[in-house]
Amino acid sequence: MNKIKSPYKINRLNFNFEAFRKGGLIGVALAFLALFIVVPLIAVFTEAFSKGAELYFASLMDPDARSAIKLTLLVAAIAVPLNTIFGVIAAYAIAKFQFKGKNFLITLIDIPFAVSPVIAGLVFVLLFGSQGFLGPFLEANNIKIVFAVPGLILATVFVTFPFVVRELIPVMQEQGTDEEQAGRILGANGWQMFFRITLPNIKWGLLYGIILCNARAMGEFGAVSVVSGHIRGLTNTIPLHVEILYNEYQFSAAFAVASILAMLAIVTLFLKSVVEWKTK
Amino acid sequence: MLLGEGKMGITIEKVSKNFGEYKAINNVYLEIPSGDFTALLGPSGSGKTTLLRMIAGLENLDSGRILFNDTDYTNKAVKERRVGFVFQHYALFKHMSVFDNIAFGLKVKPRHLRPSKEEIKEKVYDLLKFIQLEHLAERYPSQVSGGQKQRIALARALAVEPDVLLLDEPFGALDAKVRQELRHWLREIHEKLKITTIFVTHDQEEALEMADTIVVMNEGKVVQTGTPEEVYRRPVNEFVYRFLGRVNEVNGRYIRPHEVSLKRAPLGESFPAKVVHVHFIGSTVRIQLTRLDEDILFEAELNEEKYREIGPIAKGEFVYAQFTKLVDFDFQQKVKPLPQKESVL
Repeated sequence: MNKIKSPYKINRLNFNFEAFRKGGLIGVALAFLALFIVVPLIAVFTEAFSKGAELYFASLMDPDARSAIKLTLLVAAIAVPLNTIFGVIAAYAIAKFQFKGKNFLITLIDIPFAVSPVIAGLVFVLLFGSQGFLGPFLEANNIKIVFAVPGLILATVFVTFPFVVRELIPVMQEQGTDEEQAGRILGANGWQMFFRITLPNIKWGLLYGIILCNARAMGEFGAVSVVSGHIRGLTNTIPLHVEILYNEYQFSAAFAVASILAMLAIVTLFLKSVVEWKTK
Repeated sequence: MLLGEGKMGITIEKVSKNFGEYKAINNVYLEIPSGDFTALLGPSGSGKTTLLRMIAGLENLDSGRILFNDTDYTNKAVKERRVGFVFQHYALFKHMSVFDNIAFGLKVKPRHLRPSKEEIKEKVYDLLKFIQLEHLAERYPSQVSGGQKQRIALARALAVEPDVLLLDEPFGALDAKVRQELRHWLREIHEKLKITTIFVTHDQEEALEMADTIVVMNEGKVVQTGTPEEVYRRPVNEFVYRFLGRVNEVNGRYIRPHEVSLKRAPLGESFPAKVVHVHFIGSTVRIQLTRLDEDILFEAELNEEKYREIGPIAKGEFVYAQFTKLVDFDFQQKVKPLPQKESVL
């Protein structure tokens, strides 16, 4: 009888301890989350509306703010499709073929994650700036890259390019090549194989990568700040515009513009959850 | 009903293929007659799957030629070969319904060859009827069983009316009972369609049961080609003999367990042995014994009739065993070369 009873007691003790541990850990995690994420998010919106809704909307309708929003959308509209196309091609090559230097290529793709964005921006200034390597050539041909929109796009493409590839490589590796081979034997050509077999198989992973890529493209500050030159109405994106407003003590306006990015983040998280739920 | 004049013989001529240093296929010559049902049989790493993939065009060859009806197909593109291929894990398109899977080969045809929507639908339903899965047309591959996937994969391959049907370990991933059913079913399909069929297997029983011709492969080479009876009764060497069934080795000579005779009393050249284990496997009884004179373990198989003759045998009992038909490959090759059919060694 004793032999049966004692493990039961131990189990009960264990159970209580487990429950305590579980509750404690969840509590710590939630407290951390509230302090560092929820509170700041609420702060952004309270500050933005602190001087009334009128000023909030006025800040957003300000010509400089509007041009910053437009520029951010333009940069994302170019950088995200470029990285999507590049990402699909690179991930396909890496996941479905064996070739020399594959690991090197994967490392290269990771560089934007490893390098500080400020340094990435500086690299473009050093390459394309007037004192830079290609500067004289560009000036002679009257091409402006640094302190102009092309520079912003380049910097954004650089910083955001691992998102789609990184998301797709594991998805494609898991798929293997069997289905494509089956398609090939059944007579499909390259395009048919890609659009009817490969793409449908990766669509959720791809969408996930695009959402993350877009969020970063719109929110990027460091690299963009270095190449932008901060010309109001011309080369300021939303994050840069927020900084300028803040430095000029226009706190409500700064937070009002920042709230656009905060809302973008919330929409991104929502879409991300939808995609995750779709992929199960 | 389903296929046109798909009479296609295949010749494999001095084909070799290396993966780095490893000789996957080593100077193989093989002739597969039109309409034949051929098994490529061998252990893993024997090159059988590589050879099958070469015929499909999924793998390039380093040297040699592959001919379809005397036409050189060595460098022909995969989609021009008119082969049907059933992958080991079926490779069904996960995101398509069963109907769309089967219709795929018809839908991707160039416009001037593509059948109309109605024709495609009719053809797919014919095939679904043929594999008896009409009720699953709208399901997705993840919603059907392994055996059903196998049949869908076959229907998908047949939809484009291939001249040759290639199957890579077609029953490998199925449980024993489903496997048995599908073997019969595939054999029946072959009887109906008469399409040249080649399948890869490592299961000698499967090859013996299904194939018209068995090609035994080992280490990238063809070791023996023949009917199931030929390779089983007249194996060219020890490897084939060992691979095609259970074997007792006696000082470099061999005997199959069912050829070992057991008696209660000494007779002729019999020797005493102790029963170590008795297994009842369906209608046969497999008995493990130790020779008392040499302390060697061996196996005997008795059918029901023989087992009844000798009476119940229990573990620990002593019986007398006799090896009457020991096979000696060195001896046979020296004295009486076996009649061999196109085997290359």
